[in-house]
Amino acid sequence: MMTFSRVILSALVLGLPGLAVDTSAQEDDLASVSAALAPRAEGLIIARCSVCHSPDLVSQQRLPKDRWMATVDKMKHWGAEISNDESDLLVRYLSARYHPGAPDHLPPFDSELRKAEPLTQEPVQAGPLVGVAVRGAGIFEHNCQACHGAGAIGGMGPKLAKNPILKHEDLFWETVLYGRGPMPAWGSVLSQQDIADIHAWLLAR
Amino acid sequence: MSLSRRAWLGKVLQGLGLSALVSHRPVAARAAGNDPSSNESGPLIARVTRPYDAETPVREFTSFLTPNHRFFVRSHFGPPAPELITEANWKLRVGGLTDQPLELTLKDLAQFERVTITAVVQCSGNGRAFHRPKVPGVQWERGAVGNAQWTGVRLRDVLAKAGLRRNAKHVQFKGADRPVVSSVPLFVRSIPLEKALHPDTMLAYEMNGRPLPLLHGAPLRVITPGWMADSCIKWLTDITVQAEEAKGYYMQTAYRVPVTAIQPNSGLPGTSMVPVEAMVVKSLIVSPVNDGQVGLVPVTIQGVAWSGEASVATVELSFDEGKTWEPARFVGEDERYAWRRWQYVWKPKGPGSVAILSRATDAEGQVQPQSTPWNPSGFLWNGWDRVTVTVQA
Repeated sequence: MMTFSRVILSALVLGLPGLAVDTSAQEDDLASVSAALAPRAEGLIIARCSVCHSPDLVSQQRLPKDRWMATVDKMKHWGAEISNDESDLLVRYLSARYHPGAPDHLPPFDSELRKAEPLTQEPVQAGPLVGVAVRGAGIFEHNCQACHGAGAIGGMGPKLAKNPILKHEDLFWETVLYGRGPMPAWGSVLSQQDIADIHAWLLAR
Repeated sequence: MSLSRRAWLGKVLQGLGLSALVSHRPVAARAAGNDPSSNESGPLIARVTRPYDAETPVREFTSFLTPNHRFFVRSHFGPPAPELITEANWKLRVGGLTDQPLELTLKDLAQFERVTITAVVQCSGNGRAFHRPKVPGVQWERGAVGNAQWTGVRLRDVLAKAGLRRNAKHVQFKGADRPVVSSVPLFVRSIPLEKALHPDTMLAYEMNGRPLPLLHGAPLRVITPGWMADSCIKWLTDITVQAEEAKGYYMQTAYRVPVTAIQPNSGLPGTSMVPVEAMVVKSLIVSPVNDGQVGLVPVTIQGVAWSGEASVATVELSFDEGKTWEPARFVGEDERYAWRRWQYVWKPKGPGSVAILSRATDAEGQVQPQSTPWNPSGFLWNGWDRVTVTVQA
């Protein structure tokens, strides 16, 4: 199920309003492709790729489109949680920004993110978010299970079922939004509602 | 929308009572590695933050031995959880085509003869950043290499204790390191039996006289002197004697080079691909440093040179883009698998910018080329080394 913000994002990315999307016609204009796709693509790099490696391994590459495609395919094959739409977006973005002719040193992408529109433009809630556990199960499976294990019983990452952090909601949110140690930050990929849903589901484990 | 992402997050979090967290925490979604100024003053230059891959600044190579804390670091998954490799928990299993499978503790290993070898260990991808067209992978420049004294036991002594069956042809290694996601293939590789039985191939538990550090494979790693480091498996736990090469991505697909030169980006090579094994002849200019300044006085140029299983025969320098070459002289230790240090006293002709080039030749006549044949994964770079300095009046 999509949150409101996801619908907006998908519209932007898939080009329903004809905004960012007609990239096939714009491929010469690498900078504009790059800027238009940056927030979503960089969010994906942080959430999907940096489960296994830091984003600097991505940003130091300078590859043509076919090699980016092969790389993203390899990572999907190895278990990266990337949907077909997401991999199309990633390949478009990566081959626009990190192409063979790009300068060796690009500014870190977060400086561009700061200039960009906020990723998820949810209205500030009047009251606290109410998580829905049944939604959280699916979001957890897609985003968290690779490290925290099926049923949140732990894996490469710690066991989250009955983990004391669930009772310290501020710490839980901080960790999910900003990452901690080897865990990447999820603030660019998960909406506030997603995080609340995951939290609700974990509490019920 | 003028609201910055951070300010917006702050507003959202205020609703959750978390604003204090936002005001003084950096945005974690920061890409590392694009700002060279941030990491070139430390002991190592980080290429990948996690898993940690880092190379040594070439200026450190004036010493014969590279200190442990300045030795380049490379692995596919990072070190294993420390509890897996404590002395109480760690064991080395030796099995496969053997008469008697073994399970050895560190105390058991101490019963074998102790040997020490000084050897260069170099990442197969060292210099990858210089290949054109560019190739994917960690963009190593010049410092994914080091020279250290390794102490441990001969692999062949351990294999002899287990007893080899007649059909043994390859020896496979596996370490305790694991990928984050279990669907990623393990870093499992093998070497041919001939290299495994070579008296200098060893299982090392000490590095430069100290217990092997965690980042360098504690408590035990393979050292294949003269070969690239893709064979030098760290955190070793399993040795399997086999009739065939190791199966899997890191042996059958990765760490392979075409037998003959191929056209860049010509798709899959029409030639067959073979594993990266022996190192190729190579020299580095260590001092003066690249982009450095020297006075209009005699300057001692220093460097190192090494090859695979042959010794280095000559090192030459050029100050005219390779038209003419002047011999350098060797100094210091001369050990079979170690690098050789060399020097050349240069008298600059006048002020201005000068490119200093170096090339080595080994005892088998292998010469360091101007640039290395392109290969799809950018292995075995050994093009002429180049340092540009400004001579000041």
